[in-house]
Amino acid sequence: MTTTKTQQIQTSTKPLRRRRTASLSGQQFAGPLFASPALLGLAIFLVAPFVLALVLSFYRVQLNSPRPARFVGFEQYARLFTDPDMSAAFGQALLNNFTFALIVVPVQTVLALALAVLVNRKLRGMVIFRTFIFMPLVFPLALTAVIWRLIYSRGDEGLLNAILGLFSGGALSSHDWLGDPATAMGSIIVMSIWQSVSFQMIIVLAALQSVPTELYEAASLDRASKWAQFLNVTVPGIRNTLIFVALITTIFSFRLFDQVYLLSRSGSVDRGSTETVMTQIINTGFDNNNVGQAAAMTVIFMLIITVIAIIQRAAARQRGGV
Amino acid sequence: MTIPKSRNGARFLTAAAAVSIAALALTGCGGPGTGSTDSAIEPGSGEGTINVWAVDGQAAENDALKKIISNFESSQGKIKVELKLFPSDQYTKAVNSAAPGDLPDVLDFDGPTLASFVYNGKMAPLKGSVSDATLSNQTDSITSQNTVDDAVYGVGMMNAGLALWGSKKLLDSAGVAYPTTPEKAWTADEFTGVLDKLAAVVPGGKPLDLSEQYGFAGEWGTCCSAGPVIWSGGGTMLKDNKASGALDSDANVKSLTKFASWKKYTDPNADGLAFPSGRVALSWVGHWTYPTYKALGSDLVSIPLPDFGKGTKTASGTFAWGMGATTKNSAAAGKFLDFLMSDESVRTYTAANGAPPATKTALAASDLYGPGKQLQLLGDQLSKACGAEDQISDTCVSVTRPVTAGYPIVTDQVGKAEAAIYAGKDAKEALSAAARAIDQNFADNDGYKK
Repeated sequence: MTTTKTQQIQTSTKPLRRRRTASLSGQQFAGPLFASPALLGLAIFLVAPFVLALVLSFYRVQLNSPRPARFVGFEQYARLFTDPDMSAAFGQALLNNFTFALIVVPVQTVLALALAVLVNRKLRGMVIFRTFIFMPLVFPLALTAVIWRLIYSRGDEGLLNAILGLFSGGALSSHDWLGDPATAMGSIIVMSIWQSVSFQMIIVLAALQSVPTELYEAASLDRASKWAQFLNVTVPGIRNTLIFVALITTIFSFRLFDQVYLLSRSGSVDRGSTETVMTQIINTGFDNNNVGQAAAMTVIFMLIITVIAIIQRAAARQRGGV
Repeated sequence: MTIPKSRNGARFLTAAAAVSIAALALTGCGGPGTGSTDSAIEPGSGEGTINVWAVDGQAAENDALKKIISNFESSQGKIKVELKLFPSDQYTKAVNSAAPGDLPDVLDFDGPTLASFVYNGKMAPLKGSVSDATLSNQTDSITSQNTVDDAVYGVGMMNAGLALWGSKKLLDSAGVAYPTTPEKAWTADEFTGVLDKLAAVVPGGKPLDLSEQYGFAGEWGTCCSAGPVIWSGGGTMLKDNKASGALDSDANVKSLTKFASWKKYTDPNADGLAFPSGRVALSWVGHWTYPTYKALGSDLVSIPLPDFGKGTKTASGTFAWGMGATTKNSAAAGKFLDFLMSDESVRTYTAANGAPPATKTALAASDLYGPGKQLQLLGDQLSKACGAEDQISDTCVSVTRPVTAGYPIVTDQVGKAEAAIYAGKDAKEALSAAARAIDQNFADNDGYKK
């Protein structure tokens, strides 16, 4: 009996122990295993290029050149900050980026909210209205840029000038919107907001529709005005979405490239007035083939973006957000 | 757990750094291996299959090329041609990244990229492979483009040229007499007077189209807009491989400032229809608009570009053909190039795209650019070749863009400077900045000397 008992115990403990080791090893490897595709992707597409850029920024490398890369230490960085031409150009590009972000982020977020509230009303024909607002996002930017170049064209040929001329009795009719450095960046900002505000609007709209209607009912029972309802029900209800929208708009405005490239680079206007860090990096690396210099620019730019992202996240957290 | 984790991270970083350094070494050392392969070509048997790379051009050009190839194959039975077409924006990259063994026997190239291909050891000199008759039948302007360090690396079927296209009706109604030969070109000051007169007769009051829609801040600006202005004013972009003292010279400041002063007469031409629709009387553009402009019929006239002091100048040069640096069948490749440059092939090809022929015999026989024909002016300009920038004289007209492997930075900076000056920036400041940027890049690359 005892033998069978011990046998029984042995047979019953064996699978138990096996199961325990199996679950242990599973716990050990499941996490890394499931994370590995994403980690691999991050390593290949984010970490490796960044490390490569960092390494390249210490070399003098020219694309399409038989010359071996030459280690130059911090020369590329030194040039970026001390060479009068290069530091002025890089500074101007950074300034353009910041101007763009400072104007576009608040304006576009508020506009997206306003439009979302507008199209959230249950009026007849709202679907058509919504479609029209969403349309700029559906057309490719390369296509709309052609139209905007006609709008901003100088002289009477430009649609904007023609309209202004009509209303001012011909007094304002020949401004060169993209050619004049004073209005070039502003023109790009307007076009950019027109083009992408509907994307932010859709995100805000989705958040608006998830605010429970009972809250509005309760508020109206309390005789809260529409404005008070908006401030005390709507805005707190979609707070996290608004923070998210402001965050991605900031990111979009720092990687600003297409609008500038399509509107001003292809026209005969002063490139310096609308150059952003992105267009400058592409220009340095792939038009001038100066990969080392372009890599140094990306590293600096990456650091700046990281600092901004950290500040923004800290600010959002402080107010109890995401 | 944190310690092994961070160690893993460190190990990963080292690995990534090692990979990137290896990649760096590859980009650095990919070239030198192929750098000294001038003697790597072998004449071969003169038969078999040759590989040909070309840029995927307009449909009519591709069809003409395929027709020429089939004519070549049926004219003899021993050499077959394997044609591979690349999209134009990928072409330079494809040639530059091809391993020596993958280079084709025969390849197409754009004029300004040749020096860089030669610098990278991708091209073989043609002497000995292509017949002397073919080489001597090339017009001087195309030979100048295809010559690097005194060796000819290419032969061309077609060329390119610029002119002011005019509407005879509008010129006549403004009472403007116009020059028809390069010698009688308007001086820049006369040209301003002409624009004043024309402004009164065109509907919008802006009688000139400078092809702004192509963008001055790029190749159009350098080759075809700033280039002719600089050369005609007696200046150059580079002198002894340096831009300082050449690009920012007083002559260039004066010429480009004059050019920018015409902005108030200029239609921005955002829709590209300024000339054909009759909004402007004069259009500064290349031969390639002729197929559109010829709708004006006998009302269309071609006028030399304005003279800034040293005679009218135009840019020349375009796609041409060369031989891969490692061809193992250069005899057959040479025969194919000879056939491409025959009168019949050149006629077939230039009929398809309207370009001026680049061989002497085909140019003389051209029914568009030949003597007494509608575009004779452009043909004349091309036969009066200056060669490179440093050989410009008062009487020559067609100038070759700088032949240097550093051309990408030159074209980027000259175009950028022109656009800035045109937008109202001080010319001396813009040109000096461009010259400093060019010189810096040349210095970083040891002057792009081999």
